[in-house]
Formats: sequence, structure tokens, C-alpha cells
Amino acid sequence: MEPSAQPELQHAIDLLWAKFRPEMEERIAVLEMAAADFAADRLSQSQHEAANTAAHKLAGVLGTFGLTRGTVLARELEIMYSRENGPDPAVAAQLASIAAELRKLVQNRG
Amino acid sequence: MSHRILIIDDEDDIREVAALSLETVAGWDVAVANSGAQGLIRAAEFLPEAILLDVMMPGMDGPSTFRELRKNPATAAIPVLLLTAKVQSSDQRRFADLGVKAVLVKPFDPMTLSTQIADVLGWS
Repeated sequence: MEPSAQPELQHAIDLLWAKFRPEMEERIAVLEMAAADFAADRLSQSQHEAANTAAHKLAGVLGTFGLTRGTVLARELEIMYSRENGPDPAVAAQLASIAAELRKLVQNRG
Repeated sequence: MSHRILIIDDEDDIREVAALSLETVAGWDVAVANSGAQGLIRAAEFLPEAILLDVMMPGMDGPSTFRELRKNPATAAIPVLLLTAKVQSSDQRRFADLGVKAVLVKPFDPMTLSTQIADVLGWS
């Protein structure tokens, strides 16, 4: 890469982040809601699938915007939600705490 | 040297960052499609030298799109690189067995994506 292309690319990526940040936050909201409803024993099948999809999409994109830790956390959630019958009840608190950490990471990215 | 590449991905964020990366870093000529069906049309029109194809898409997914590309003589020989957020080795093997040129894992680094692709395709 031409040295001059790096700041130009980083600036353009930052602009794309600003554009897509609301979408990231919507995906996190899906995860927060799913965690709350799972803890209250009322997670529906469609919510379960939506949470799995949201986690998968976040895992695939956050690292591209420099949030490597976000990808790691989203992958953990994807694994938890990928169980056919829903997450293990033992991880209920983790579902919420990981979603909260994702929210913070995205907010701090600016 | 400028190359022609088509990106097929339903996720706007991934598609736009990948296109930006390949255009800015490598100076390639990039076309995009947001579904497998649109990708088949775009591939036949644009005739890229390679296709970056997302695995998980609603409707026609990546593997189905790949098989359709292979059925059309105009696109049958275009090398396809699958792009997936699935990291399990069993998934990776299953995708590689389809006959694609490579399986690239999301998230990718926008600074080095073009190098990764160029290495696979011998464009370096």
C-alpha cells in the first residue's frame, strides 16, 4: 500500500463506522433484549434466532472496524445462542454482561 | 496493476468496507452486488477476474451462488473466494470442498485484504 493511502483509508473507514454505527447498536439491542428475556424465561424461538444472527454479524464485522475484542465477545455469544434449544441457563448472566461490554466497546469507538 | 473484482455480500457494512479497501489500497476496479441473484447478473455483465462471495446470505446463499456461477459458461472459470464469519474448521473444510479458490475469514483487515486476495490468486 502506498504510505499516503493508509490515513486516507483510515479516515474513510471512520466515516463508514459513523454511517453503520446505528446498525451495530441495533444488533446489540437485540442481544440485550434477548439476554433480559432469557433471564426472565421468556425467550421466544424468533428472538433466539435473531440473537444468533446478530451475534454472528457483529463477530464478522467489529474486527474490521478495529474492534478485535468485540469480535471475540460476539463469537462467544454466537456459540451460546447457537445451541438448538437455546442458551444454557448457566450462562444467563454472561449473556447480559457480554452484551453490555459490546455496547461499551461500540460507544467508545466513537 | 489494476484488477477487476466483484464483491457479493448482503451486509452493507462489510460490502462497503471491502470495496473501499480494494479500491483505495490496491486501486482495483470493484463492482458490488447485495444478493446471490444480483451477483449472478453482475458477474455475467462485469466479467470480473475474481469474485469475493459471502457464505451466509438470505435467499441464495454463497455455496448456491457459487454452483450457479459454475453452470454459466461466461462465469464458470472465474475464481471465487468465499468470505465467512464461521471459524470452525469443519465449516472451513466444507466450504473449501466446494471447489472455491480460498476461504477467507471475517473479520478481515481492510489494510491487508487486497494482499490476502492477491496472494491467493498469484497477483502479487
